[in-house]
Amino acid sequence: MVKGIGGSAGYGVGKVVVISDAKPEYVVKNITDTEAEIKRYEDAVASFEKKTQAMADTMRSQVGEHNAEILEGHILLLKDPGMEEITKSTIKGGTCAEAAFESACDMFIQMFQMTGDELLQQRVTDINDIRMRMLKILTGTPDVNVAEVPAGTVLVATDLTPSMTAGIVKENVVGILTEVGGQTSHSAILARALQIPAVLSINGIVSKVHNGMEVALDGVHGECILEPDEQQKKEYLIKRAEFIKQREMLQIYKGKETVTADGEKLMLFGNIGKPEDASQVLINDGEGIGLFRTEFLFMGASKLPTEEEQFAAYKQAAEIMAGKSVIIRTLDVGGDKDIPYLGLEKEDNPFLGFRAVRYCLKNEDVYKVQLRALLRASAFGDVKIMIPLVTCVEEVRAVKALVKKLMAELDAEGRKYNKDIEIGVMIETPAASLIADLLAKEADFFSIGTNDLTQYTMAVDRGNARVSYLYSAYNPAVLRSMKHIIETGKAAGITVGMCGEAAADPLLIPLLVSFGLDEYSVSATSVLATRGILSKWSKKEADELAEKALSLSTEAEVAELLREAQKQ
Amino acid sequence: MVAKEVKITNEQGLHMRPAGVFAKEMTKFNSDVTLVYNGKRVNAKSVMLIIAACIKCGAELTIECNGTDEEAALAKAVELVESGFGE
Repeated sequence: MVKGIGGSAGYGVGKVVVISDAKPEYVVKNITDTEAEIKRYEDAVASFEKKTQAMADTMRSQVGEHNAEILEGHILLLKDPGMEEITKSTIKGGTCAEAAFESACDMFIQMFQMTGDELLQQRVTDINDIRMRMLKILTGTPDVNVAEVPAGTVLVATDLTPSMTAGIVKENVVGILTEVGGQTSHSAILARALQIPAVLSINGIVSKVHNGMEVALDGVHGECILEPDEQQKKEYLIKRAEFIKQREMLQIYKGKETVTADGEKLMLFGNIGKPEDASQVLINDGEGIGLFRTEFLFMGASKLPTEEEQFAAYKQAAEIMAGKSVIIRTLDVGGDKDIPYLGLEKEDNPFLGFRAVRYCLKNEDVYKVQLRALLRASAFGDVKIMIPLVTCVEEVRAVKALVKKLMAELDAEGRKYNKDIEIGVMIETPAASLIADLLAKEADFFSIGTNDLTQYTMAVDRGNARVSYLYSAYNPAVLRSMKHIIETGKAAGITVGMCGEAAADPLLIPLLVSFGLDEYSVSATSVLATRGILSKWSKKEADELAEKALSLSTEAEVAELLREAQKQ
Repeated sequence: MVAKEVKITNEQGLHMRPAGVFAKEMTKFNSDVTLVYNGKRVNAKSVMLIIAACIKCGAELTIECNGTDEEAALAKAVELVESGFGE
């Protein structure tokens, strides 16, 4: 068994086809007829453009605009005047087209790397992809035609470039294995769009397999068995059939409204950690973003991200969602999330300590940058601000006062933002739950964070194995708290959502329907399943179940009742 | 030929996005457009060369335009730089 990262969910059993990315070989020649050599280069560029445009068109119809744009971007990069100038002048000096083009590529890669800009790393990948295809055209090397692999193929490559994958016939490819790439890599995005299971970042996979070798892969857990025995093959094929059946069943909910069995309309949103994940929410039919965790911006960096960097990220999410709700949670640092350059001290009780909004209000310089970026992004979509870990009214007032001050700053600078931007409160502490009526007067919306609410209500460290049995949202204390928050928010006329894992819990959903939750925010892959469960419950049935559940005294009794009541 | 000195004010400098916007706009003119920065001359119609020149925030450079529509090209170039490329 070899391990990697699950890049695209699903199971597959098939035979390996290795897509080699070995560079075509050529002999460096001295050229005397440089005019003819320049013509040869120009012909290759024209041929590249034609092939690439054709691939982009296929991509556009198969997997969507984004991938097609990457390929069209390659044409622009190749035809860039700088690229052309340098290649042609090297050819004029007597170098053959292959070597001249390669030296231009190398020069740009080196210059890009010198700038130290991480965003340019993607450009380096693009240039290498262009280089490979141009060399193939110039040397007349035939492409490995992905379009012609036989049924039951598992593609194996160091990395899948957009051009390699353009012709994939999804009926014939049962899996993808690569050596590099993560959840958001091109390979992963493409595999998910085509619904082909993929395991990425498997160390040395290309040298571990050969063409025709049998493999069984598990894209859910990121595992792969090389040369599986009959028993293992059978097991994986059964899992594959079940997975596909499950996915097809959920497809009936695609494009449908989110409604209960008696027709009450609800909001079904997705949780994201990076702006580009918003596309996954849309692909899975999410109707908005209920929680955008902004910590990734801070954790992946070596210094505080600038206003421009943050603005770009928030704006990107807003633009992808095109007018749909995007609830962005401000920095939730501390607790188990350390960000070294913020200089937080070690604490004995970090979960009860200097974290989230407490840290932000004491470090206005840090908080202002984020709030300004959020306000500016609000000009590009329905951005909403959410404050984490609120325990008292003063915190909400302080954030609102700061936002008001920053709005005046932006006005003075003539920058655009949404003057009616909504500011909501995350309800995740017993204190916030108990004063929900007071907070509802200050907040435009509530969002219940069930993970922290459970932990703080039960006074349990979920990482501590000796007490983690207490960590369950089915505890009567947690249920009562959720009911109280939802009913209080609704009575005050504000929207109440939930962005913790509980919102996608099939056992808990009927209770949330009964309590009157407006908005369910779940992981992108849970959207359709959640819509399915919601559609099976009517308010009346949910109320009956909730009444029974709330009359029970123990977590175990509640869990048992909910399990029995679960609808298939 | 017409020329003007400008200062880059957008926080990120001439990175991928602004360089792309700049090169694309400049390509619309017939004139040659050159950025003179740190003694180097950069073809302003090339995204690749602009990025590679690594022009940071605060950099002072000269924009030179040479051709039939040089006045219009220079005006557009200066406008783009001064607006911070819409950032």
